[in-house]
Parts: sequence; C-alpha cells; structure tokens
Amino acid sequence: MLTWLSHLDRLLRGDATRSDALRGGMLQIQAGGLGVLIVLLGAIYGLCMGSYSLLKEVPPTLLDPNGRYLQLAATMIKVPALFYLTLLVTFPSLYVFNALVGSRLTVLSVLRLLIASLTVNLAVLSSLGPIVLFFSLTTKSYPFVLLLNVVMYSVAGVLGLGFLRQTLHRLTSFEMPRELAVDRAAVGAGDSADEVVLVETEPSALDMPSGQAFGRHTRLVFGCWMIVFALVGAQMGWVLRPFVGSPGLPFTWFRERGSNFFEAVLNTLGALLTGSS
Amino acid sequence: MHAWLTTADDVLRRAAWTTRPASRRGLAHLVGCLLLFSLFYGAAMGTFRVLSGQPQWLLQITYSALKVPLLLLATFAISLPSFFVLNTLLGLRRDFGQALRAVVATQAGLAVILASLAPFTMIWYASSAVYSQALLFNGAMFAVASISAQWLLRQYYRPLVARNRRHRWILWGWLVVYTLVAIQMAWLLRPFIGAPTMEVSFLRPEAWDNAYVKVLELIGRMFGW
Repeated sequence: MLTWLSHLDRLLRGDATRSDALRGGMLQIQAGGLGVLIVLLGAIYGLCMGSYSLLKEVPPTLLDPNGRYLQLAATMIKVPALFYLTLLVTFPSLYVFNALVGSRLTVLSVLRLLIASLTVNLAVLSSLGPIVLFFSLTTKSYPFVLLLNVVMYSVAGVLGLGFLRQTLHRLTSFEMPRELAVDRAAVGAGDSADEVVLVETEPSALDMPSGQAFGRHTRLVFGCWMIVFALVGAQMGWVLRPFVGSPGLPFTWFRERGSNFFEAVLNTLGALLTGSS
Repeated sequence: MHAWLTTADDVLRRAAWTTRPASRRGLAHLVGCLLLFSLFYGAAMGTFRVLSGQPQWLLQITYSALKVPLLLLATFAISLPSFFVLNTLLGLRRDFGQALRAVVATQAGLAVILASLAPFTMIWYASSAVYSQALLFNGAMFAVASISAQWLLRQYYRPLVARNRRHRWILWGWLVVYTLVAIQMAWLLRPFIGAPTMEVSFLRPEAWDNAYVKVLELIGRMFGW
C-alpha cells in the first residue's frame, strides 16, 4: 500500500513523467497498484458524494430504513466503476486512433498513460471530497449538491486531462533537451531588469519542458481523446445514476433509461435558480 | 500573556520564524495564537445578550467563544487536502512547508485582527440593542478582518510567488475554496450573537441547510421567479 502511495506521490510531483524516466517511451509505474488506488480513491469520493443520502429529508411514503445506506454503498462502488467503465469503453478506439495517426506508443504504454491520468484525476477528486462531504451533510437542496459534484468532477477532470496532455507530449517527443525550466519571476512591486531573479526549477507534471511546444500530433491525439473521454464519461455517469440519490425517489441501483447528462445538468441548474428541489 | 502578544505582533509583522518550515514549536505557537484570539473575539461577539439585558448571557458567551475558533479551524481542515494535492500537482511540493505556514499564520493573523476589532463590536452593542444591526455590524467586522487577512496572506506569499508564479494560482484557488467553505460553515454554526427572541442554543434547530441556496432563493423571490 505504501509503495502504491509512493507511486502516486511520484506521479503527482511529476517525478514519474520527467524525460529521463520516459526514455523507453513508457511510463515506469506500477499499473496494478495504481489500479487498486483508483478503486480506493474512487470509493473515498463515493463516500463523500453518497453521504447526502444519509441526512436527506424523505417523504413518508418513501421511508426505507436501508435505502440511505444502500445509496451510500452504491455510490462507493459506482464512482470507481464510472472511471473503469469509461476506460474500458474508450480504450480500444483511443488506441486505434492513436496508432492511426502514426504514434509510436504501444498498447501497454497507452494503457499505463491512461491509468496514470485516471489516478491523478481521482487523487484530485478525492482531495476535494471533504468539501463535498461537508456540503452534502449540511445541505437540503438536491440540485445544489448535484451541481457541486459536477463542478468538482470538472475541476478534477481538467487537471487530469492536463496531466494526460503533458505526459502524452513527453512520451511522443524524442530527443528532449535538458528538462530544466527557467522560471523568470519578478521580485517586489517593480519589474525592472535588475529585480528579476532567475530560478531554476524542475517542471511539474503539468509543466511544458523548457523550449518545447505541443506538436501537431500531440494536439490531434489529445483533442480526440479529450472529446471521446468527456462525452463517454459524462454519459457513463448518466447511465450509472443515481450517485447522490434524489430525496423524492426511492433507492434503486439504476434509474430507467432516457434523456442524457447535458440535458439533466441544464434542468438541474434551472431547478436551483427557480428554487424547486 | 506577554508571550502571546509578542506572537501576535510577530504574525502581523511577518517575523521570519512564522514561515520557517523547520520548527514544530513555531506552528504550535501559530495555532495557539489563532485559538486564543478567535476565542476572545467570539466571547466579545456573544456579549450582545449581556449588554441588552437578556438572560442566559453566560451560556451565549461560552458558545460564541467556542464557535469562532471552530469556524476557522474546521474551514481550514476541510480546505487543506485539496490545497496539498494541488500544490503537489503544480510542482510546488518543495515549498509546501512554507505555503502551509503562510496559510496558518494568516489564520492566526485573521484571529488577531478580529480580536483587535472586538472593542468596536462591544461599543456597538452598548449603543444599539437592535439585533439586525448587531448582525450587520459583525458582518462588517468579519469583512474588514478577512480583507486585511487576505492582504497579509499576499505578503506572506510574495517570496513564494517570486520563486514560482504558480503560487499565485494556488493562492487564488485557496481563497476561492476557503471562502466557499467558510460561508457555509458560518451559516451552519449560527447563531454567533443570539437573537433576543430565541432560546440560547449551540446550533439552530434548522441549522442543516445551505447558505448559497438561501441566497439564490432570496434573489429568486426578489425577481418573482
């Protein structure tokens, strides 16, 4: 467990994605251990997300002694499932497209890259968990909790994709120059040349190595991956709902099919603004 | 007492020890300063019932004194995990010790500033027994203290931003998350002053609700939605 956590720490700090660690065109990570961490981090966020059901006010006709706990357990299972199922659905097409545009990344290196990105995504998400837990336990409004979760998923998603894009770039660019970014930082209120200090810092997991820019290939592959991931992820979330558990509906593991994620977000936003819960 | 006043002075003047990550004793001093001064402002906040001649004033003072440190510490604890992960992800882990000291010292500074405003609050209570005005005045004191503390945080963060500009993003992220949580936490922990028409209680019976939804509902009602 500690070894996996140290791998996660290396990923977050950017140590695992420095150019010298990627020489073979492959992320040197323990994919199995990170796979288990994805489940654990997802379950932690699921616990925070599902906690709304513990204190929600339910109409007398829907009283179910076990419904609240079942919803909590369901969310703890569903959050990791959401990420794994999205990976399962998108991986074949992501790899095929990646190969089609001439990338030299192998199946294994694409898989490792995606697992690393999901781990970063879930690490950020679970670090936002305490905020979600706090609001879930102190809020009656279902639309508010729902939208708060959408915001948290978006923040974590943006950072996870930022990691994916940067690591994809580092993996696909060869013969990288020395990877030390020079950070020009102005000291004090004035910005005169005399007051500028040059500090050499190692690039983070999200930093572009000095003197490089995203290549056409990286932009193309990443653009397609991002669209496919976001669309499938959002719709997968819709298929696996309920995650939070509406106070006006009894507990079920899955809701009936129909509508889609984006329509639901717009409807929830409308409900929040008009005060209906 | 003199030692705590010296600590408060050091926090406001950003003495070197307040952000030096090496010593644990320094961190304990900052937390102690935070607890002591926020407790003091909380107690001053709770004196509304004494000055307006209401019963159960001692209980209200005790509750208020406990709630202000609770508000600051709980908000800090909830905001900390994302602060740590974002610092790490943006490559700022090496500076995390100093960044953590900066935010803890700012919390202590906020408590000191609040405590310095306590006499104003008590003068206000002495001159007006209207509850809504007391509420508004305390809101103004918290606003003044928060703005001043933000300035202090910026000063603490200057060397960090000079070292790496990404600290500025983290600073903004911290302010957004901290404010988001603090407003809800304050709403949850109400009453801090104690309405004269209500029994003294640690939390309102209807405490479990959302401050932002309430504001949206108020705006909705204003526009007839």
